This record gives sequence, C-alpha cells and structure tokens, in this order.
Amino acid sequence: MADETAAPAAPPQDSRRETMAYAIGVAGWLVPGLGHALMKMWGRAVMCFLTVGMLVILGAGMRGNVFSSGGDDAFDSLGYLADLGTGTFYLVARSLEANGADVSHADGDYGTRFLATAGVLNLLAALHAYEAARGRKA
Amino acid sequence: MNAGIGFKLSHLQSMLLFALLISIAFGFLSRRRPIERVKYIAWSLFLFLLIGVGIGWAMYPFSR
Repeated sequence: MADETAAPAAPPQDSRRETMAYAIGVAGWLVPGLGHALMKMWGRAVMCFLTVGMLVILGAGMRGNVFSSGGDDAFDSLGYLADLGTGTFYLVARSLEANGADVSHADGDYGTRFLATAGVLNLLAALHAYEAARGRKA
Repeated sequence: MNAGIGFKLSHLQSMLLFALLISIAFGFLSRRRPIERVKYIAWSLFLFLLIGVGIGWAMYPFSR
C-alpha cells in the first residue's frame, strides 16, 4: 500500500523556479543589486548597488573596523557575519582600508556601523530578490 | 603603497548620510510607484532624524 503521508513530489517547473530563486538570491548577495538586475528590476538594482557601495566606501574611508574570521569574541564574529553580507564588496572594503581600522575616534566607530549596515542591507536586498523570484509580491 | 581613502565627517553629517542612504534603500525595496517611494523616503528620513536627535537629547543629562 502506498504511503499516504508522504508529500507529493513538486512539479518540475516549481523545482526549477526554486533553483532559479536560490541562484538569484546568491547572485544578489555576491554583487549588490545583481539579483534584482537578473529579474530586470533596474531601479532597485541600481539603488542597491549604489547605497551598499556608498556605505562600504564611507565606512572604509572613515576607517571603520572590517572584521576578519579570527575574531576574539561573539561581537567580532557577528561583525564578521554582517560585513560578509556585502559579498564581494567585503574585499573592496579590505582593499580600501590600506591603513587599517582606527576606532579610537568617533569617525572609525561610525565607519564600523556603516560597514555592518551595508552588509545587513545587502542581505535584506538579496532576500527580497529571492522572494520576488519565487513569485511573491515585491 | 596604497594610502587608501579617508573621510572626516562630523556626527551630524554621519547621521544625515546614514539616514539618507538607508531611507533610499528602504524606499526602493518596499515601494513600487515613484511617488510612493518619494513619500516613503521622506517619511523614513524624517523619523530617522527625529529619533536620532531625540535619543541624543535624551542622553544629554547623563553625558557629564
């Protein structure tokens, strides 16, 4: 007798759409705005790229802390996760901050927040692109 | 060696830039029509600044 509790298999079209949505979400994370650009949402794509890019440039220019994987405590690890949210822009922030972080002044402290916010904002945008690709209203 | 880039911003300038950039991003992500986006950005920016300045003044008695 067939197992009636098993969930029915998803139609191939839904499965393909889900895979595409994942790919769009990852693309949006790696390059801010790319997820929306792949769905031809040009305004959102450009604005995601510009706002995340501006936050990263300002944060690095103000010598904020760009966290690395070898953090000493939970806050360092959370900061690293937030910074990683910017995708490839994480590497841009590291290359722009040639003189290292300086959080002994308010500027550097603000810069740290700018960088973390850029990461979280990009994750939000990537999630938005993923949901839009799945067909949710966006 | 690359000397990197450097910005010197005051507290107010930092807050204004932060509020403006986040408001623009939220406006574009959460609204579709241009007029709705502009309204959302203006309202969000106003609230960011109001709450930021409000918290600043609320901390003033404890700052010294």
